[in-house]
Amino acid sequence: MTNSLLFGISIFVYFFAMVLYVSYLAFRSEMLGKVCTGALLGGVIIETAAILLRWYESYQIGIGRAPLTNLYESLVFFALTIAVTYLIVERKFGIKTAGAFVTPFPFIIMAYASLNPNEIQPLVPALQSNWLISHVVTCFVGYAAFAVSFGVSFLYLFKVKAENRTAKTQGAFLAHLPASDLLDEVGYKTIAIGFPLLTIGIITGAFWANVAWGTYWSWDPKETWSLIVWLIYAAYLHARITRGWKGKKAAILSIVGFLATIFCYLGVNLLLSGLHSYGG
Amino acid sequence: MSEEMKKPKKGPDIVDRIWNFFTSLKLVIVLLLVLSIVSVLGTVIEQNKLPQEYYSYLSPGTVELFGKLGFLDMYHSWWFTSCLALLALNIIACTMDRYPAIIRGMKKKNVVLDDKLAAELTADLTKIKYNLPAEEVEKQAIALAGKDFSVHPLVTEVENTRHLFFETGKYGRLSFLLTHLSILVIFAGAITGSLFGFKGYVNVYEGETISAISAGKNEVKTLNFSVRCNSFNVDFYPNGMPKDYRSDLSVIQDGKEVIRKTIRVNDPLTYQGITFYQSSYGGFPDITFDVMDKNGVLLGSAFTPFRQKTVVPGANLTIEVADYQEHFHLPDGSEGGPAIGLNIYTPAAPPEGIWITPGQPGVNHDGTYSFVVKGFNMKKYTGLQVAKDPGVWFVWLGSVMLVVGIMLAFFVSHKKLWIRIRSDERGKTELTAGGTANKNKHAFASELKRLAKRLQEVS
Repeated sequence: MTNSLLFGISIFVYFFAMVLYVSYLAFRSEMLGKVCTGALLGGVIIETAAILLRWYESYQIGIGRAPLTNLYESLVFFALTIAVTYLIVERKFGIKTAGAFVTPFPFIIMAYASLNPNEIQPLVPALQSNWLISHVVTCFVGYAAFAVSFGVSFLYLFKVKAENRTAKTQGAFLAHLPASDLLDEVGYKTIAIGFPLLTIGIITGAFWANVAWGTYWSWDPKETWSLIVWLIYAAYLHARITRGWKGKKAAILSIVGFLATIFCYLGVNLLLSGLHSYGG
Repeated sequence: MSEEMKKPKKGPDIVDRIWNFFTSLKLVIVLLLVLSIVSVLGTVIEQNKLPQEYYSYLSPGTVELFGKLGFLDMYHSWWFTSCLALLALNIIACTMDRYPAIIRGMKKKNVVLDDKLAAELTADLTKIKYNLPAEEVEKQAIALAGKDFSVHPLVTEVENTRHLFFETGKYGRLSFLLTHLSILVIFAGAITGSLFGFKGYVNVYEGETISAISAGKNEVKTLNFSVRCNSFNVDFYPNGMPKDYRSDLSVIQDGKEVIRKTIRVNDPLTYQGITFYQSSYGGFPDITFDVMDKNGVLLGSAFTPFRQKTVVPGANLTIEVADYQEHFHLPDGSEGGPAIGLNIYTPAAPPEGIWITPGQPGVNHDGTYSFVVKGFNMKKYTGLQVAKDPGVWFVWLGSVMLVVGIMLAFFVSHKKLWIRIRSDERGKTELTAGGTANKNKHAFASELKRLAKRLQEVS
């Protein structure tokens, strides 16, 4: 399959982008910064082509379905959404140093995906639904926004520790990170993007479940964990908007929220039983 | 009147304290976190399993304790429900608390940029003087501000001074009401569903008609119509994965077919608010046996409907097909193909059960009888999930409210802009502009700065 070849190339490009972003932390030249963004963008383009090709190839072999249905496909899609979301955030807020904390995700996720079976399987009856694409896309773009918030919040915790020291002991490395206020702001803004998407993802999932089984909510572990993630971010938003929780407390909640997200996505399937298809 | 005078402390302190408790943000955050922690527990301990399944990894004492605490059906336990009820009360109290301020915020009150209002806006206030007539300045100001606001501001003239009031995103203020009420609407839907709806299950054999389903443990629900399964089919992909499950169903009311539809997974049939979902399938055979004695002499033949004790004419015995398995596992775990579980009852010996492979004679324990499958008629059935949920529309309404509310909350800010224009005695025109926004004040401040810059360029 040609799509596997392209996916393989994109893993290397993501690896390369990650190395560049980490070295950008050390040598902050404008030129290097441009190369970083270019490399990540290159990875995104190759991976998008790979996904589209896989979609096309599924028609070639007479199956014909969106490549969003098993663990392998969801992982590669997750890697893509993180890279794209990060690029948008970088462009909007100009925080290139955060890349070193976010770009490992696409690489690690793609590398992990490559360990999983990747042949194109046809769809079982339960997955043959128009709700598949909207449900998966909203959930994963939401997860990706939370992943970027996680990376930025992590960076925030480093930065704020450094700012508390005097300028002399702060060191050149940390001194050049983006201002903590900006990191805090980006950490919040990305959650403000992820939360509505997760909400829509849960609702489309409920709607689909109702069409397939006659129950919009059955406290299945996956459903329950998505609710847990939703509740954590809802608590974050209430604390932040109403009580002005900023900085360290907000960053920690964002990190907790993303760990719960990862458990919802992978942990539930690996450790608990349930209705979702990529248990594998 | 100051805030304190508006609310004299009439009632006892306790009422205030209860009100403060239910409207406190602390309660919201604690409830959200408690609900999430409790939900984690519910995914770690498997819910609503049979007692035997718990005994395999928990001691009987623990199972009993967990049962009493509601840990085995946590989401329906009194304390989980209480948490949800507390959340509902909390939402109601907060909504009542915030409602007046929200409505006040949406009303246009200050359409005139007077000194008092100007003092509140100083941070965003811009003053510009022009050598242009007032009409021209007003025209250009409206054109510039109209890009972000409406080109039809509310104009008020007070003592030769024109006040232009622009406003956008007023309905962004409804985000609080929409998001919070949506949760109550969803709760209302869930309660309506559990009070007036039901969930059930039924197996319908091909050609058979049913009018009752099993709903919950030992409970049978009778429908006032009946459903016939005309046929059931499964398709497979070349690699053996299931491709399609189809049940051709007819709804029969007063002896007449009113609907006929082929249902699939993701494409159910609804009649009178009751929906039938394709859920599972299976089949059982009716078998005709030839029964021989130990010398191979035919004693008799018997048509044996599935799970019905049948007397074999000519032989002093009764047989029953108790089980049928498509993929029988041999003792070593390997695949043994289809197998029939046959119970044999004779007056002389205790009942015994044997497995028979179609195509090979089956012999009972002491070799008195042998059984040969002569006729095999598989009766297929479709397994249907049956549900009626009159609350589901509330759930979807609440969902839409929630999404709209969240979008308004994050992306729609209520922005107000005032522009005051007056000419002085020397024919110069003075413009003063200022604004407020209820969200994302930083972004709004830079937006106003850009507008001020453009206003400055007017000539």
